[in-house]
Amino acid sequence: MKTRKTEYRFLMPAIVVVAIMTQFPFLLTVIFSTLRWNLSRPDLPRTFNGFDNYLYFLKIESLQHIPEFYSILWQTVLITGVTLLLCSVVGFILALLLDHEIPGVNIARTLMLGPFFVMSTASGVIWKTTIFNTTFGWYGVIAKALGATPVDLVSYHPIGVIIVLFTWQWMPFFILVLLAGLQGIPQDLVDSMRIDGVSWLQGVFKIKLPLIMNHMRVAIMLGLVFLIKEFGLILVTTAGGPGTRSYTLPYAVYMQVFSANNVGRASALAVMTVVLTLILVNLLYRSIVKRNARYS
Amino acid sequence: MSERTLVQVQRTIRMRHLWKKVLMTALVYGIAIAYFFPILYMFLSGFKTEQQAVMPAIFFKPTLETYRKVLSDPTMYQYLRNSLFQVLVGTGVSLLLGVPASFALVFGRLKHPESNGKFYLWFITTILLPPVAVLIPLFTWYQQLNLINTPYGLMMAYVGFHTPIVVWMVHSFFSDLPGEIFEAAEIDGCSKLQQLTRIAIPLARTGIISAGLLVAVFIWNEFFLGFNLTGNPTATLPVYMSRFREQQGMFVAQLSASSTIAVLPAIILGWMTQKALVKGLTMGAVKG
Repeated sequence: MKTRKTEYRFLMPAIVVVAIMTQFPFLLTVIFSTLRWNLSRPDLPRTFNGFDNYLYFLKIESLQHIPEFYSILWQTVLITGVTLLLCSVVGFILALLLDHEIPGVNIARTLMLGPFFVMSTASGVIWKTTIFNTTFGWYGVIAKALGATPVDLVSYHPIGVIIVLFTWQWMPFFILVLLAGLQGIPQDLVDSMRIDGVSWLQGVFKIKLPLIMNHMRVAIMLGLVFLIKEFGLILVTTAGGPGTRSYTLPYAVYMQVFSANNVGRASALAVMTVVLTLILVNLLYRSIVKRNARYS
Repeated sequence: MSERTLVQVQRTIRMRHLWKKVLMTALVYGIAIAYFFPILYMFLSGFKTEQQAVMPAIFFKPTLETYRKVLSDPTMYQYLRNSLFQVLVGTGVSLLLGVPASFALVFGRLKHPESNGKFYLWFITTILLPPVAVLIPLFTWYQQLNLINTPYGLMMAYVGFHTPIVVWMVHSFFSDLPGEIFEAAEIDGCSKLQQLTRIAIPLARTGIISAGLLVAVFIWNEFFLGFNLTGNPTATLPVYMSRFREQQGMFVAQLSASSTIAVLPAIILGWMTQKALVKGLTMGAVKG
């Protein structure tokens, strides 16, 4: 009995702190989402208004006026989805490349890992000024040298820019995890592949990829969880613009609190962000479990 | 086939292999350098003067002038100090809470045998929670309690979000330790606390250190909470970077020098943790 007490003494502080700082505020957010509460109108009482905050975003009155929420939702899914796709496909190819025995390959691996640890606001500002800028950036200078007119990518292709930057930051993580998987494949398997005359393409897609599917799953899952909440990079590159064309859900929550001062609606959006995260994680998990079952 | 031609054939095969290797090496290095280029260029531009930095160039006469200017700016120090506080205290408290908790989860006998797994899962699901889900209540509390202008409010939020990551990673490192050691220690009259501090922590030292370094990197880079839960006196470096263009204007050299200061510690710490990062983050999930 006495030892059991110490075990709870080890466990409880962490549980209490995590609950107070994360779960309890989330419950409050759920409650706030059912209130009419506008910070810029302190004269109005905070009243319960059921699902009005949700309906404000979700209700489609007519097909001509589809609420902005749907385009923001679509942008969030698009940015996250395309980034994850690029990261897993290109990341897998690069991991295969880095799996070779090359003199000093660790230096190359280390260099490629770098962007993952760069704070998103810094990478956004750096890319925006030294690469994408039409007069001072490399893109502008190279485009002019080639006789083309550089366009302001950040305003014309905001989603593309965000996807490129997200991919740049997250692909190193995919490479790291997939490379660990590739290096975990036993050497005698690779040798017997060669002896049996398996072609390179077959070896990669029929043997290596299925073997590291679990690593892929982990990378995609973590990438999804972290990408969906990304905020800083969007703020410093496109600031959600032009208009709301590169808003994502976290960015929309931020704008609802700090520009519209609408706590109720912001909370409803925040709850829907959590729901979206859970749905996507769940879908991903299931699809991959199914796939695994087929292979084993 | 005569002996001579055999040698020749062997030589051509070897040459072909060599060429393949040279090409592969060039390709890998080319890609790696291109990938790293934005960071490399930022690092180089910090050693330029503003006039030099206007036009992109890789070769130039380096100067420390810009760094001197950036480091003589007292606001930069304030942001740096705030970031260091969050990283040191936030990481420290997260480890202090997370390491004993994961010890109890791996080796402890809780009331119900299935509790260990349930609590562990609870910590993991907390990682899924995006910070937007907690921002609004925390923001309203912090405003009422005036925690916005102290570093402690943000620090507590960081502890709440990073303790689960510590639990997750350290759990996988503790799971590698053989349970018999602790049974033997138990019989020898070693208390749970002694088992943790004298046996488990020293044995899983490298894993715990890398979990700490990874959390340090996460906190150093965290922007969303740092931006929304701080006032001017408590804002951290990522906030400084986000405000750079509006406050300092378009000064490429200054921007590069400041971002180098903001980015380099995280990259170096990150490089140090890379092995443990893969192991800690994937082990549970890959096996499970």
